[in-house]
Amino acid sequence: MTTAATDVLLSVTVLRPDERRLLDALRSQGLTARPVLQPDLAEVLAAGGERPRLAVLRNLSHREAIGTARRLEQAGVATLNSPSAVEVCNDKGLQALLFARLGILHPATRHAFTYEQVHDIATEFGWPVVVKPVSGSWGRGVTRLSHEEELEAWTGGRESVDAAGKLFPVLVQQYVEKPGHDLRIVVVGTEPVVAISRNSDNWRTNTHLGAQVERVEVSDDMRRLCAQAVAALGPGFYGVDMMQDRHTGEMTVLEINANPEFARSSETHGVDVAGLYARHVAGLLESERPVLAV
Amino acid sequence: MSTTVVTGVACLVCDSPLDIESGSEKGEIVECGTCGQEHELTDTSENGYEVSLAPEVEEDWGE
Repeated sequence: MTTAATDVLLSVTVLRPDERRLLDALRSQGLTARPVLQPDLAEVLAAGGERPRLAVLRNLSHREAIGTARRLEQAGVATLNSPSAVEVCNDKGLQALLFARLGILHPATRHAFTYEQVHDIATEFGWPVVVKPVSGSWGRGVTRLSHEEELEAWTGGRESVDAAGKLFPVLVQQYVEKPGHDLRIVVVGTEPVVAISRNSDNWRTNTHLGAQVERVEVSDDMRRLCAQAVAALGPGFYGVDMMQDRHTGEMTVLEINANPEFARSSETHGVDVAGLYARHVAGLLESERPVLAV
Repeated sequence: MSTTVVTGVACLVCDSPLDIESGSEKGEIVECGTCGQEHELTDTSENGYEVSLAPEVEEDWGE
């Protein structure tokens, strides 16, 4: 009933160019690999069939990614990334707590569950502060508040669509002035394989908001912080976002993404991320050991 | 290498023929060359290709 002798399932929400490249790269490694959309997961999870050896999670939907990871885990299928890594990466609040617990440098960040707490934390940190949803991507919902009037405006707009406050908690973060860019480091397995500077006049340096990218060398600071990230989450495939304080020079981890985009990386940066990831997967499967604890 | 083929599948918005590459997989996004509408391949079986309008970006989508 389930997949027959498939090495790798590629779990997707839709099959974008990123995932298509990864699928081709996995097959180039001699692996049998097939994409699985959410409805197809029913067949994979059904009892009595042969399980794939590994599932690579590339779901655009965070809810799908977490649900798929946990369901496959209970079905005995190892996943990349691990379910707990997927869960932590899809919640900036969990990440902030993890970073604080493990001493990974990160801008001061607090949870707020009410508008009053947002105000109190902002007053304690000092203006400006950054307010962001615990879950979200591509810069959505990330707001810089420079004074009380802006907080009032943010509160008013939010209350108009969420009178009951169900969208809490949010994170309140100390604003760190960047030197016009932040950094994205892609990690495959345990190794940082490429670092990209995302340059923008906008304080939000997401490429989805128009930031220009250029490849930079992986520095010792980046390598050290990536090693800490991997130690915290386990080997896998990550986009580690970092930024440098333009005044102190201190480098901090801003967040870790479990589903980094790479479709143009080969042409733009000369690094075949899909190929490297596929080789990592092939290496895990070749080892004939359980590839991940499940 | 995949080759672009005309499959006889029409754009769901402007009815122009969609070019779908051979070897395309279920779930891939195909853009109409005439009107730009994105479609999702929902079936790539022997019966031929089927498409639906590509899903809009949802609020929990991201990296």
